Amino acid sequence: MNGEQKIMGRRHPSSHGRALSKSLAVVGVASALLGALPSLAATYDLTIGKTKVNITGKESTALTVNGTLPGPTLRFKEGEDLVINVTNTLDVDSSIHWHGLILPAAQDGVPGLSFDGIEPGTTFTYRFPAQQSGTYWFHSHSGLQEQAGVYGSIVIEPQNREPFRYDRDYVVVLSDWHDTRPEAILANLKKQSDYYNYDQRTLMSFFDDAATNGLDATLADRLAWGGMRMTPTDIADISGYTFLVNGKSPAQNWTGLFEPGERVRLRFINASAMTYFDVRVPGLEMTVVQADGNNVQPVNVDEFRIAVAETYDVILRPTEDKAYTIVAEPMARTGLARATLAPREGMAGPVPAQRKRPLLTMADMGSGAMAGMDHNQMPQDDAAPAAEAPMSGMDHAAMGHTAMANGAMANGAMPAADGARQDPFYAPGSGLLPTAANGGKFLSYADLKAQKPLFEDRPATREIEVRLTGNMERYIWSINGKKYSAADPIRLQYGERVRFKFVNETMMTHPMHLHGMWSLLDNGSGKWNPIKHTVSIAPGTTVYTEVEVDAPGKWAFHCHLLYHMATGMFREVIVEGGPQTAQAN
Amino acid sequence: MPVQFSKTFVAAFAVAALSGAGAALAAASHDSGQDAGEAAAHGHSDALPFGEVGLAAEADRTIEIAMKDNYFEPEALEIRAGETVRFVIRNGGEFLHEFNIGTSDLHRAHQNEMKAMMESGIMTATGMNPDMPNMAHSAMDMSGHAHDDPNSVLVEPGTTRELVWKFAAATDLKFACNVPGHYESGMMGDIRFVKPAQADS
Repeated sequence: MNGEQKIMGRRHPSSHGRALSKSLAVVGVASALLGALPSLAATYDLTIGKTKVNITGKESTALTVNGTLPGPTLRFKEGEDLVINVTNTLDVDSSIHWHGLILPAAQDGVPGLSFDGIEPGTTFTYRFPAQQSGTYWFHSHSGLQEQAGVYGSIVIEPQNREPFRYDRDYVVVLSDWHDTRPEAILANLKKQSDYYNYDQRTLMSFFDDAATNGLDATLADRLAWGGMRMTPTDIADISGYTFLVNGKSPAQNWTGLFEPGERVRLRFINASAMTYFDVRVPGLEMTVVQADGNNVQPVNVDEFRIAVAETYDVILRPTEDKAYTIVAEPMARTGLARATLAPREGMAGPVPAQRKRPLLTMADMGSGAMAGMDHNQMPQDDAAPAAEAPMSGMDHAAMGHTAMANGAMANGAMPAADGARQDPFYAPGSGLLPTAANGGKFLSYADLKAQKPLFEDRPATREIEVRLTGNMERYIWSINGKKYSAADPIRLQYGERVRFKFVNETMMTHPMHLHGMWSLLDNGSGKWNPIKHTVSIAPGTTVYTEVEVDAPGKWAFHCHLLYHMATGMFREVIVEGGPQTAQAN
Repeated sequence: MPVQFSKTFVAAFAVAALSGAGAALAAASHDSGQDAGEAAAHGHSDALPFGEVGLAAEADRTIEIAMKDNYFEPEALEIRAGETVRFVIRNGGEFLHEFNIGTSDLHRAHQNEMKAMMESGIMTATGMNPDMPNMAHSAMDMSGHAHDDPNSVLVEPGTTRELVWKFAAATDLKFACNVPGHYESGMMGDIRFVKPAQADS
């Protein structure tokens, strides 16, 4: 308990104290002590262990931090020196990575790159200053432990006044829980992939085949392949998720309280292993004020999509004395995460019906031409209609691969060919393009503009192409056709500014996360381009980011879909030169 | 595009009718024959039910307002019913901001108008769009915004503007920036009427 007391005894902003304690009450029993203890030194103690949980009606074992799922909310203050003791009580190595935090490479918590990991029964002490403010999270970077529950939230209180105000402050951790052990899920994915041996198909190979065999035959071939991929049980396993809000199932209904007229800040964190969510609060407009911990120019939306590992902070203004439902629908509509904002405990608002599952179109297959790649999107029953629908989409795909796959270039100015809604960050005609449930405004990456740029806007010194690739045959995901174990590190020079060109050649959406340095998403806003740690790249699109290379050492760079990372969509990035050259070798 | 535009203008007109001038409100209640929008657009009246533009020479006092990104300092005002206040408003931020005195309903109407201006490109986060001068002028004239609205000033980054306001009886007023997202995220404050005994004067 001593450790928890230290954690929970941290200072907290008095103006938000009431909301704070409520927010934490969800996270763990220990948080009840929050208000009662004086501020202590900035030392935190975390223990990784096993905890029995019952989320689906059947008892299961989660891997947890300090005994709760999710782990505690760590509340830091910008500028303080942090000492975090992490004790591993598991029988395998573990680790904690501080997602989105800028820190020395040796403190980043990636076994094999930052350090050796934390052996069973030992304690590793992290030491680094909190150099930033905002909403972040932490998770294990060992094996598949994150899927099993080793994650929690971080809130760093800024030194200066924030550019917005709120009366209540709640952390909203979204996650996907599975009773099946993650190792078994991955084993199923790999086993099932032998079902039908088929090499990775690219758009060009599709058209090569089409030229040789005729379009119909080639299409039929691909669809047959796709159909085969759709059938197996691995899909059922992955789609058997229960979606959680702060560890609560939809039935358990996490609730945050408000008084009508107050401003409520919700800090959404997507700590899922594999699930994107579309988030809305029917009846309330949301003002997005922060993305990935960095303030953005406020933008009013009715709904937003949160990629795995992203965070979005929104402000809501509930004025009526009634319950509002927080709805987070998985992008593939495989269920629902649900929570409530209400004036009093025990209230519940209506829970809307799950919306129709999106169907991928040829636009989404544009670069990958692999219907089967997307096990999340297209279960077998839907494979046929999905494939039939978009013959017209063929043209889009044909042009799209080169001409349209320029998400960043299209700073919102891309003309709508057919009057349909367009978003430069989705392939034209994409079945994944989201629309707001109420017909209103759905946040686009194009809407995100930094409130205060961190870096001088300058041209990049060079461009590095990162093709996102996959080989479904063996459930291997890769970068530039090579999985992690077969690839050389990406070498960057301290002081340079690198432009990354992400080309998604698969049919899945990949949230790419670079450790240690910010990724400036090029959405056409120039100096106001948003500052992110995780950038989602939709199928059939090309997205550019720029990175000021200002952190020496070895860093991880990977897709944050856990099973993609684990099977090879991962690179080591080495920053050479700079003040701590020795670390890079 | 023409359809879009007329929508914008219709919205602007509606807002002008609601908020541009006391005459507009009066027209709505007891002089429905008058073209309220026209009156507002031409700024014939500078009175609203809760006050009117005052003369700097008659100001009882000066209140300095600092605009930051995105909040005001101070965050609340104390006003006496009937007094004339000269507001000196300096925008020390990097973004365009507004200082607007009104009721919650009026602010809401302004927010819709400014949203339309932002979406049409007339206004950007950092100022009025210099590439669209004609549109900007016509829209601003139509809406009565920025220079015609008696109870509001738009203040571009690095500039200072003044607004002299003669407050009427105590009522529920707020000062606000209605640039999209700003009010919603907290760039607004209460106007508290002190010495309520004077409120009936």
